[in-house]
Amino acid sequence: MAASELDRVTMVVLRYMRRPFFALVLVYAIGIIGMALIPGRDADGNVEYMSLFHAFYFFTYTATTTGFGEIPGAFTDEQRLWAIFCLYTGVIAWFYAIGSTIRLLQNPHFTHVLNERNFASTVKRISEPFFIICGFGDTGSLLARGLSDHNFAGVVVDADPERIKALALRDYTVKMPGLCADASVPQYLVDAGVTHPNCRAVVVLNSDEDTNLQIAVMAKYLNPDIRVVCRSTSLRHEEHLRELKGVTVIDPFEIFGQLLSMAITTPKLHNLNSWLVRAHGVKLGQALQVPKGDWILCGYGRMGQWFRKYMANHGIYPSIIDPNVDLNEHIGSEMIIQAYADRKTLQEAGIEEVAGVVAGTDNDSNNLGILLNTEALNQKAFTIVRQNNHDNQIVFDAANVDLVLQSSLTTARRILKFLISPLIQTLIDYLNDQDQRLTDDLIQRLQNTVGDQIPHLWRVNLCKREAAAATELLNDGIPATLLDLTRNPLDRQRTLDCVPLMMQREGECIMLPSDWQRIQLGDEIVYCGTERSEQLLLATLNNPYTLKFLVSGIDPPRGYFFNWLDQRLNRSKSAAAVES
Amino acid sequence: MNLERVTFGFFILLALTLNFVFVVGDIDNYRHHSVWILTIAILVNLIATGLKLGDRTQVGALLLAASLVADLLLISARIVWIVTNPEGGPGPSAEDMVTIVSLGIGALVANIVSAVILIGDTLMSRR
Repeated sequence: MAASELDRVTMVVLRYMRRPFFALVLVYAIGIIGMALIPGRDADGNVEYMSLFHAFYFFTYTATTTGFGEIPGAFTDEQRLWAIFCLYTGVIAWFYAIGSTIRLLQNPHFTHVLNERNFASTVKRISEPFFIICGFGDTGSLLARGLSDHNFAGVVVDADPERIKALALRDYTVKMPGLCADASVPQYLVDAGVTHPNCRAVVVLNSDEDTNLQIAVMAKYLNPDIRVVCRSTSLRHEEHLRELKGVTVIDPFEIFGQLLSMAITTPKLHNLNSWLVRAHGVKLGQALQVPKGDWILCGYGRMGQWFRKYMANHGIYPSIIDPNVDLNEHIGSEMIIQAYADRKTLQEAGIEEVAGVVAGTDNDSNNLGILLNTEALNQKAFTIVRQNNHDNQIVFDAANVDLVLQSSLTTARRILKFLISPLIQTLIDYLNDQDQRLTDDLIQRLQNTVGDQIPHLWRVNLCKREAAAATELLNDGIPATLLDLTRNPLDRQRTLDCVPLMMQREGECIMLPSDWQRIQLGDEIVYCGTERSEQLLLATLNNPYTLKFLVSGIDPPRGYFFNWLDQRLNRSKSAAAVES
Repeated sequence: MNLERVTFGFFILLALTLNFVFVVGDIDNYRHHSVWILTIAILVNLIATGLKLGDRTQVGALLLAASLVADLLLISARIVWIVTNPEGGPGPSAEDMVTIVSLGIGALVANIVSAVILIGDTLMSRR
């Protein structure tokens, strides 16, 4: 692959530089030969010819306008005449050559080929796990930011040159090379590293559904083992995508519906979820209180339909306001108003009495208008607004809204959660199915340990590479519990600021394992805590003395001598005990 | 308080101080440096090295390495002394004495590193 790339670059260079190169060679040849043939005179007046080497030396400093003067001796008039000729032709030939070089560097085709080559070699050199992001719009850039925050490298492919330029200006803490190309061309997918052993997943986020489908299929063909995450809002494409193995379809509108549903039925879980995905301004333990009762749903497009579906599951049948809604379509018993959601129609839908309003149109100014009207007519109403454009963030922050759902942000968070800690979604689903008290307990524990700090999720595998000391301990048959691992090395009675969320053992998943859960070799544990606690935990897992102290409460002897002494003392002690 | 840590710390600090005792004085004057102190320093250093064997932590490995360096340098110094001052001579010449004491100072640095690591590790664990 690299060879053919190199050939393309060489070919373009050769094609562009051939003529200026020949022009230079020709001018040099004529000038040098002429200079060597024209007779000169030495100081004594004898005829003397310039050697070819001296002629070349003379021509070099003349043609490049350096002009050292008449070397080795003063010239004759014939020589000077020829020197004038040499000067003009040489300088013109050089200008021509330099101009051609500059034109070549500015040639868009050449720069593209060069960029592609640099990009491919940068990707090839990535030594840590990375993700490919196809499509660098709102969602793509948020996802890239999220990956960077979690120290994961990314590779970005987007057909829009402006977006790739924008990428170069971001201050990511990790490698994030970008290529301006159409990712549905297989060559570019390969360049982006789809077959690279460290490539963890391909995330497809273009606005065009057909392109997305094409990229997903192509990525699967190029590397059947790769995970593909694809955004899709069209049912037709989703059906295609779901057929493919290892492809996850993310539908932003469905996620909206799920989040809303969660906010209504299990507000605490919704709060926990938002906190875990580091949603802006969310504090653990301060859950939203979404009222049940009459609702108004403005906008009944793809998202509105998901909203209605999930609200109906909880016995809420909102009045629908949408100019494009089909009145003949039998939805349910609720009121349907076929109009824009202005003051009049909102009043018609009974805004003064409703418990909540969803401003869910695909136009931000409409949504903000609905918010203003709602505030004027019913201050107590719970407001949920859909933010379409990421650039309008400041306005939505300023608006007095109970819940903002932003397509790009929720999608990016969901994908990030799926890529980095797929088990978290499993945990949320599990908590959703269980009794409310379990969520309350977990929130209480997390509040006690992490508190107001940013939650940090990480995963520990009890294998030799990641936890040498723990492996040794378990191989020796010493029983240890989850609590032992998270004890604080400074004070054994306290624990580190982290909570084990789940444990994977032989393919099985133990949700919210208890402190007294025994650990085994090969267990994978997902923790939520502070970054500091992760470092301390990793240190414990790799230091046999600290770990033994945490498990038993006794400082084990260090070194062969003290070990021997300890064993001897123990033996004599037990012998004394037997005698008495 | 842990008797093991006391013994361990005792030998490491004793190695350091004996090393210092040997090194202190004019660098080229054999009357300022006792060959007895040098020999005892080597002995204590070897004991300290022995106590460090078998510690499986990173810190333990570093301590052992520092100790081995000190042993090597002190034993070299002792060998130079033997070679340059055979049986009952008045003492090594000024040039030879400079070599011997320089080696001793090198060992002192390694011993200081050892002591700093020990103190740092103890402070970190704060138990």
